[in-house]
Amino acid sequence: MNEQRKDILQMLSEGKITMEEADQLIAALERDRPAPPTDVQPKAKPKYLRVLVESNDDSTPTRVNVRVPLQLLRAGVRLAALIPPQALGEANAELSRSGVPFDLNQLKPEQLEALVEYLDDMTIEVDQPDTKVRVYCE
Amino acid sequence: MMPQLLSVNVKRPASRPIRIWVPVLPVLLVLSPVLLLAAVAATVACVVHQISVLRALGTGWRIMSALPGTRLDLKRGHTAVLVNIS
Repeated sequence: MNEQRKDILQMLSEGKITMEEADQLIAALERDRPAPPTDVQPKAKPKYLRVLVESNDDSTPTRVNVRVPLQLLRAGVRLAALIPPQALGEANAELSRSGVPFDLNQLKPEQLEALVEYLDDMTIEVDQPDTKVRVYCE
Repeated sequence: MMPQLLSVNVKRPASRPIRIWVPVLPVLLVLSPVLLLAAVAATVACVVHQISVLRALGTGWRIMSALPGTRLDLKRGHTAVLVNIS
């Protein structure tokens, strides 16, 4: 609470001013207060998923730089809703056989979309002596 | 927005670089009879597998329109491939 507001409330409590006058004074204080800065830009939302791979194995430098629009990932996850149920059953059986007991029927498109939504804050970095991998959103 | 241009650049040692620009819309127009057949085949496949045709078309269109901005850049030694969709 600033000093002027404190003074107004003090005068009100001492009965020097009425409640209406205090209200008008506080309203006048609000008007005189400088407006908060509006030029603060919100953080731009990332648009792309970037995958960078730099490798030096076999003494031949290899560089992979892939940029995928996040919109494409969002559209891609909608494909999950188009997978026929019998294909999901077969995929589940194969996953179980490979030691991954995962039920694809439990995976809902909304969950996948939420996953893509939160990719914004993700950065993966793998640093090995001859290979560097970086995955991030920009 | 639908992709407008697909560009492919290939650089190889001891040979001239290859640059290809593919204007997507004219190519789609030229291939429209084939695309029509493909659409019919896809519709039949959707009906057989009990998938909503409209939903499949919508998803296909979303993927198509999300393609601009995709870029693939590969370099190994003196060989380089760049694919860009704009």
